[in-house]
Amino acid sequence: MSLSDPRSVSRRTVLKAAAATAAITVAAEHRSAWAQAPTINFTSWSAAVDQVKSHVSAFEKATNLKVNYENFPWAQYRTSVVTRLVGNAPMDVLWVSDAWLPEFAEAGWLATIDDVPELVKYNADAAPFCTQSMLYKGKQYGLAYYGDHMSFVYNTEILAKAGITTPPTTWAEVVEQSLKIKQTGVVEYPMLMALAIDTWLIEFMSAMVFSHGGRFVDAAGSAIMAETGKGVVEAANWIREAIHTHKIVAPGAVETSEITALRALGSGQHAFCIVPTYRLRALNDPSQATAAGKLRPTLMPKGPNATASATCGWIRFYGMTPGAKANATRRANAVKFMEFFGGKDTGGNYTLQKLLLTDVGLPFCTTPLSNDPEVKAFWTRWAGGGDVIAQQAATAVKKDVIAPWFGEWNETANAAWQSIFLNRATPQAAAASMAQKWKELRGS
Amino acid sequence: MRAATDDGRRAMIAKRWGRGLLISAFSALLVIYVAGPVAWLVSSSLQSEADITAVPPNWLPPKVTFGNFEAIFSNTTREVTYETRRQGDPATGRFLPSGAENLLPALWNSFTVGLWVAILNVVVSITAAYAIAVIHFKGRQAALYTILATRVIPDIALIVPLFLVMRNLDLVNTRFALVVTYLAVTVPFTIFILISYFEQIPRDLYRAARADGCSHVQALRHVYLPLSLPALVASVMFAFLTSWNEFIFALILTQNIASQTLPIVISGFVMDFTTSFSFVNAAGVIAIVPPVVLAMMFERYIVSGLTAGAVKG
Amino acid sequence: MLERLGRQFGYDERSAALLVFPVFAVLMVVAVYPIVYSFYTSLFDIVLTRPWRRPFVGFGNYARIFADPQFWTAVQRTTVYTVVTVSITTVMALFVALLLNEAFPGRRLLSALILLPWATPSIVNGLMWKWIYDPGYGLLNGILVQLGWIEKYIVWLGDPDKTLFMIANAAIWKQMPLAAILLLVSMKSISNDLYRAATVDGANVFQRFLHVTLPALKPGLMLVLVYETMISIRHFDLFLIMTQGGPGDASYTLSWQIYVETFRNLKFGIGAALSYVLALATFILSYLFIRGFGSKA
Repeated sequence: MSLSDPRSVSRRTVLKAAAATAAITVAAEHRSAWAQAPTINFTSWSAAVDQVKSHVSAFEKATNLKVNYENFPWAQYRTSVVTRLVGNAPMDVLWVSDAWLPEFAEAGWLATIDDVPELVKYNADAAPFCTQSMLYKGKQYGLAYYGDHMSFVYNTEILAKAGITTPPTTWAEVVEQSLKIKQTGVVEYPMLMALAIDTWLIEFMSAMVFSHGGRFVDAAGSAIMAETGKGVVEAANWIREAIHTHKIVAPGAVETSEITALRALGSGQHAFCIVPTYRLRALNDPSQATAAGKLRPTLMPKGPNATASATCGWIRFYGMTPGAKANATRRANAVKFMEFFGGKDTGGNYTLQKLLLTDVGLPFCTTPLSNDPEVKAFWTRWAGGGDVIAQQAATAVKKDVIAPWFGEWNETANAAWQSIFLNRATPQAAAASMAQKWKELRGS
Repeated sequence: MRAATDDGRRAMIAKRWGRGLLISAFSALLVIYVAGPVAWLVSSSLQSEADITAVPPNWLPPKVTFGNFEAIFSNTTREVTYETRRQGDPATGRFLPSGAENLLPALWNSFTVGLWVAILNVVVSITAAYAIAVIHFKGRQAALYTILATRVIPDIALIVPLFLVMRNLDLVNTRFALVVTYLAVTVPFTIFILISYFEQIPRDLYRAARADGCSHVQALRHVYLPLSLPALVASVMFAFLTSWNEFIFALILTQNIASQTLPIVISGFVMDFTTSFSFVNAAGVIAIVPPVVLAMMFERYIVSGLTAGAVKG
Repeated sequence: MLERLGRQFGYDERSAALLVFPVFAVLMVVAVYPIVYSFYTSLFDIVLTRPWRRPFVGFGNYARIFADPQFWTAVQRTTVYTVVTVSITTVMALFVALLLNEAFPGRRLLSALILLPWATPSIVNGLMWKWIYDPGYGLLNGILVQLGWIEKYIVWLGDPDKTLFMIANAAIWKQMPLAAILLLVSMKSISNDLYRAATVDGANVFQRFLHVTLPALKPGLMLVLVYETMISIRHFDLFLIMTQGGPGDASYTLSWQIYVETFRNLKFGIGAALSYVLALATFILSYLFIRGFGSKA
């Protein structure tokens, strides 16, 4: 040792030792947590956390299994989950968005459940749209957490003030009524749209496209989005004109995210909006929105080429990791968990599904529950009745751009949509770039 | 400086007034720039949700409500069952995000992690900075550039491999993982700060000490450290605040209450429709308070400075 | 004599090794493995949705990147953002440091207030400024209307021509205090005698600044420029919180592209290659700054 001062050396050693001890203590605290036995690792995004937590407590009591419940903010969910999956973190059950199913399945991150009769039996009670959304290449990958569709919502008070008696049924009427509302000076931008680059943008745009009677791709999966008359160009045109010609949509809409739009709608500043149906619960809650009681759903307006109202539907579901499925104990536990949450609990009731609806407003995939009087009362209270919603749900179509290359295509699509909103590209050119990217990705 | 003539004296007074005016003007601008947005944050955290979305905006709260802060401080971790689940508080019209009770524990996590990083930073960096700045050894340039090179890769690219490392060491969801990560993130630059400062200290002092028979460690202790207090304080503050503010590594490496840091918990709030912006702002105010308090305790070592005379030897 | 020198040399080398070793130990564990892993990944064509096929492509990913027009857009965005942020931060920090270097009543309070932006976590910072820029309720619009400078609320963050600058403003607000403190620390080492000598020689304020302060600030300036460049060129947090690369591709910087390629497109190979390109640019810039400022290193 060339450091000739002995006191100095020992002080440094002591410092280092202290640091090491503290570090080990901190690490030890962690190790003891892992030492507890049988744990199910459940990962979700931070929605309905209290409801899920309460159901987790019930599950733990009923089965004596411990659940390690992790949740991430929705905006960072995919990043966090992809990192964990790539890093082989011990995950058993996770929430997955229907848009990610092909990608996750191809990457080997989800296990099929066709050979798990305890779970597949619930398909009998589930709406066909839901079950189909969990199929990829003919195999099923999970049980639904919730299923929803885009609703067209209008503010009854604003319409009344402007002297309008019935809500619009076509997109042309939306423009008419908006202009009338604008003229009476009730609100400046009657149509509220959340056009920011958001995970929801594809669902909003799909609702626009489907309601214009169109599709992004045809039955074989080839892109038809660039063709005139197939819906995309028409929908894009409608939005562009709404912002720049009629000025019924605020130019700031390009930075409005779904949540910001909700607040604005809830504070009664707009007449029309497209929202996920589950938001109706909060929008009509007086403690959350000033426009409570005035926001009602009506059928999605039709485009000129559309014969009937149509909207975009989606589901989010519980998926099981192949790692869990490969291990007998983990598989058994994961199946119990998925059944308790995505199916019936040990008491034989669809408890969580009902809870999610009554507390948070999340619609379910379980058809028998629709006849439940409490459910009916719920829709009456928070949406003025469940008929419109049921009708619309029947017209809900799954996003047709779900494919193994969805993530990458969506990036191009988002940029293309925004260039339309900003009036920096024509709808035709933007749709062409979307189609081009789709062809490129599909071909490779 | 004494003015010999009346004219000279008048010129001096004018200069002093001019200087005072300039300083006041700049100070006022600086205060508005620096404290303005934070004042807005504080003001909106004391307002109700309806007031906060008023047009034109309310500068001062029309009605001061401490509801948001009450909610944060009165929350405790509780076992959530069907009976105790929170469905909202219709009576008060205030909605709490489900992670509200995690705010204070996360604050504590951020604080302990930051403290460890700051302390260890100084311990590790002083020695290395001294070696590179003062000892003219052969690999010196290479050492400096290597240390710097560890920081040129963008964080986003590091999160997956870092997660793999932590996972293999079984350190995911621990504060220890954060401490180690943040050390790797802050040490290179702390070394850089100290090197830059050590190089400004005249080499004569060092030569004198060595001639007197001091070892390197003694030279470090008796010559460089006492003269570097401002730089050391700046490094400590840098290390603490970088750890306090860091987001993306914490997001990937920690996800339970035991180890979550403040930015992660706050980001969770923003997702919930039921969260009020005023609540988020209140959480933001709380996120600012501890580091400001700490930094205020230490700023005098930088600003007042005590080295001007000593350095020239 | 030579003997003594010989021993001295050996002692220096050994001490240096021992003093530097703790740093390397820490960095090895945490920093080097991820860096090596990233580089290794960049040499393969890895698409997570195609896990069975991961061909070695050498520098193929890099070639693809340079041929991609999106990459060059990102380069342009990053350059604009970095230049704006670094230059304005440095200039502001210089003024603030000069101010705080003077003695006046209230200086202590002012130097404490300076710390507020620095103490703000980037997520709070991003949300706060997003709120301030809001086209419907924002404070910025509110103030400007009340001052009479604009008539109606305008779009700030959502206007592609303004986006980068609005984000830069939020970043500058937060980063300026550290830069100011680093410059101030550097200023503190300037001996008063130098100022006195200059004044005796008849120099006025500007000349004193130009000939005494500025030259002595070179190390501090280098520090600030290197640090600010390093963090601006790869800044991610504010882009994630405020604009997500939009509107359109107005804020689509290189670090955003890395995020998109890695976590949205699930193309780990390309993502890793992009980060190495960015890393190389960062290193070269830092090297140039360090050299340019004549550091003894």
